[in-house]
Amino acid sequence: MSDEAISEAPAPQRLLNIGMLLAQFGLVIIILAFWVFFASQASGFLSPFNLFNIGRALAIDIIIGFAQMVVLATGGMNLAVGAIGVCAVMTAGYLMQTVGLPVWLAVVGALALGAALGWLNGFAIVRTGVNAFIITLASANLFSGGMLILTKAVPLNRLPPAVSAFGRMKIGFVSPLLIVALSLGVLLFVLFRYTTLGRQILAAGANARAAAMSGVPVGRIIVIAHTLSGLLAAIAGVLLVSRLGAAMPSVGGNDWLLPSFLGPVIGGTLLSGGFVSVVGSALGALLVTTIRSGLLVLQIGSFWLDFFLGVILLFAVLVDRYRRVYAERIKMVRR
Amino acid sequence: MRMLRRLVMVEWSGLAAAIVLGGIILSWVAPNFLTEFNLYVMLRSFCVSLLVGFAQMVTLGVGQLNLSVGALGGLVAICFGGMMEVLGVPLPVAVVAAVVLGAAGGLVNGLLTVRTGINGFIITLATASAFTGINFGITRSIPFYKMPPVLVAFGEQHLSAFPYLLIAPLIVAALLGLFFARTVPGRHLLAVGGNPNAADLSGISRNRAVVVAHALSGTLAGIAAILAVAQLGSAQPTIGADWLLLSFAAPIIGGAALTGGYISVLGTMFAVVLIALIENGMVLAKVDPYWVQFLLGALILAAVWLNRWRAVRTGTD
Repeated sequence: MSDEAISEAPAPQRLLNIGMLLAQFGLVIIILAFWVFFASQASGFLSPFNLFNIGRALAIDIIIGFAQMVVLATGGMNLAVGAIGVCAVMTAGYLMQTVGLPVWLAVVGALALGAALGWLNGFAIVRTGVNAFIITLASANLFSGGMLILTKAVPLNRLPPAVSAFGRMKIGFVSPLLIVALSLGVLLFVLFRYTTLGRQILAAGANARAAAMSGVPVGRIIVIAHTLSGLLAAIAGVLLVSRLGAAMPSVGGNDWLLPSFLGPVIGGTLLSGGFVSVVGSALGALLVTTIRSGLLVLQIGSFWLDFFLGVILLFAVLVDRYRRVYAERIKMVRR
Repeated sequence: MRMLRRLVMVEWSGLAAAIVLGGIILSWVAPNFLTEFNLYVMLRSFCVSLLVGFAQMVTLGVGQLNLSVGALGGLVAICFGGMMEVLGVPLPVAVVAAVVLGAAGGLVNGLLTVRTGINGFIITLATASAFTGINFGITRSIPFYKMPPVLVAFGEQHLSAFPYLLIAPLIVAALLGLFFARTVPGRHLLAVGGNPNAADLSGISRNRAVVVAHALSGTLAGIAAILAVAQLGSAQPTIGADWLLLSFAAPIIGGAALTGGYISVLGTMFAVVLIALIENGMVLAKVDPYWVQFLLGALILAAVWLNRWRAVRTGTD
């Protein structure tokens, strides 16, 4: 979107954008405050080792959030992100260890499976007209159940050494996993900002009927968004394999449900569809990873983690709510 | 022919047929199926599941959903156990307190949803996480084992194949049926679920109906938690962890409309019977337990598709 287009945008949209920037600025401040707090409380927090670990965890959290974000953009949701992720994990492990394919081919296979499962979700939603929540709840259990039946829940831990070497690799103290995540972020930013497909996804989410009347093939767009979501979930799964150095059937699943919503929602992506924030989603994931790591370093342990994450999510949606009410008020005054 | 067609249109007819068919096949294939003990085990597992299904059913009725059914159940279960073991609260008081706690948790969900106007999905996702966090923060994953003998006995005793535990869900089912069919708040709840704008225009408070539904959902989750503690004989922090799928499967297979406004107490009961039958069949056939998850997912998809088909048929007829 050029500057000209922005100046021509209707006032609420512009205010939403300004509000968005303010909210992201606020988010950065909150994250910084947490970093200062944790660093002052525990000297180990800023050690290169911990920073490296935060980066690795962050990379996967960011991509899980993106996987949810692309579907939220259409006004839907995907509860099967974790299930698709773990299916990709086990497929990658199976292709490498049992079949003995070269690593790159196994990765391609796992990503293809993820995209295919996402496509199935989208296809079922569009064909039946049933809401995305219930379809993906059911398909999540189909996928996870199918995976457990086929693998008998046995982890695969004799993968080629190159896999875990990639997960341990350091560029400075930055993990290549994080670089993958940030590159995906750039691609998604370009997709939603500058491409027809991205704009169509947002249009379908903002107002499906208006989009359909303007010639957007809404059904096909929803299928594409779900396929993309499946692909992203599979990428997160493959990165997790490299981080753990093994393909575990216990990862993903319902454990990814909360993080997948936390990142985008804290970052300002609308649940009703039509608006996404790639940068906000990544920042949201950073907040979650920071808190998780901080609680670990402070040795509060993971017991209270869920509580904090829940409260933060609640806080974020409340702030978002009042931000929009405020923006509405400014709009009325200007008139 | 017309009779048959009308029967097919009743939402639980397919379920009843599936249950009868499944029962016949199971008793034919597995001789253990019809033993008194097996029927008792099946009915016992039926109790908690039914209440979990009801807890979700009431929120679906008003057009909402409640992801925190399991998390709230877990929290109530460990508070119930903790009150009796650590604080020495007598059983009747603990039961009342546990039910009140469940209702309070539901009330929080309802008030947050109504006051903020935020999608109930995200509110209950957040509160579910918070409830689970409090649960694990308090217990550090260590269960409470010393439950009063009366409670444990209540969870185990049975008359032939009929477990005493079953009394509670049957009473709740009757009351719920009455609530939705004959009382003003029950009808209001369904009216709001069916068409919020029409309900608004008829002078029904949409907000109050949503809050009532969430509070009722929390209460039912609380009762389910108490029964789960009685059934297990200890208050495990993991109670409720696997309720999410079940809570949606039961009402939806039972014919509840996802858009709200229509629920079926009887249908939900039949659905839970069918689920219990499937789980039991899996155990008897010594199949991987993972198949249950897979089949439940498939069953939900089939039920949704069937409901859709039925809606299209009745719409065009």
